Amino acid sequence: MSDGIETTWRPRSAWAGIAPVGRHGRPGGEPGLTLTLREEFGLATLIAVKGRTDALRQVMDARFGWSLPDPGGANLTGERGLVWSGPDQWLALFEERREMAGLGQALEGLAAVTDQSDARAIVRVSGPDARAFLAKGLAIDLHPRAFQPGQVAVTALAHMGAQVWQRDAVPTYDLAVARSSTGSVWSWMSHAAAEFGYDVRNAAP
Amino acid sequence: MRIRCPHCGPRDNGEFSYLGDAAPIRPDGMEAPPAAMHDYVYLRDNPAGPHRELWYHGAGCRSWLVVDRDTRTHEITGVSSARDVALSRRTGEVA
Repeated sequence: MSDGIETTWRPRSAWAGIAPVGRHGRPGGEPGLTLTLREEFGLATLIAVKGRTDALRQVMDARFGWSLPDPGGANLTGERGLVWSGPDQWLALFEERREMAGLGQALEGLAAVTDQSDARAIVRVSGPDARAFLAKGLAIDLHPRAFQPGQVAVTALAHMGAQVWQRDAVPTYDLAVARSSTGSVWSWMSHAAAEFGYDVRNAAP
Repeated sequence: MRIRCPHCGPRDNGEFSYLGDAAPIRPDGMEAPPAAMHDYVYLRDNPAGPHRELWYHGAGCRSWLVVDRDTRTHEITGVSSARDVALSRRTGEVA
């Protein structure tokens, strides 16, 4: 049994030691964008069992009140909801990790559920220059006529795998990357954001 | 060159990997004569013009696609999910 075993291990942010909180880049004036380091979220991939997508749709609606997004869509309310990530595949997002309890059992026989909370790192990109900033690294059209709130793209940021969804028209985007790539991602971000001036914050607890 | 992924929309070709000709269908290895397997494994047409080929959207939705491309101009006239193509082949419909 693990009861009573003491450990010195402590939870560590995906961005710890990589992304320094504070004002950076172009000095003076309002920052062009804010980078908010997300923490404590729950994240799982759902892959529908062949032929069970409709049943999965019903259970997600009945249990969570969430609707499965169409390809390229993100159905979010606040910090919770579903984001499309491939044919018959979605990301389930929860504000807190403990909300995920029971997800696997609820979807047994309908979807393969894999906890990704520790596998991905998420940074929220928001501000008047957020679009110009991301456009430097994403080879997709971010113009509002092509990409709007409620849309998602699985693509690459500076050649590193990334999933990006738009939350609002500020614009605000959430960018999910492999946790192991945060050092390289931040190296690109800090250089790409410098010209706009940027604030780095930790997500409110 | 851009490929219009049926799931993701138009994407830069750097997101995709090329496999090759989409036409060969694997013969039944227990039944087929060696010559048929040799054809399947090694022999490919190399047309200057329309070509039906397999691409993998590895940096996107991770789907296999069947792309109709003109090898002279890179003009792409059709993209479909390889899964749909395989299913329609099985049911006898034209993809």
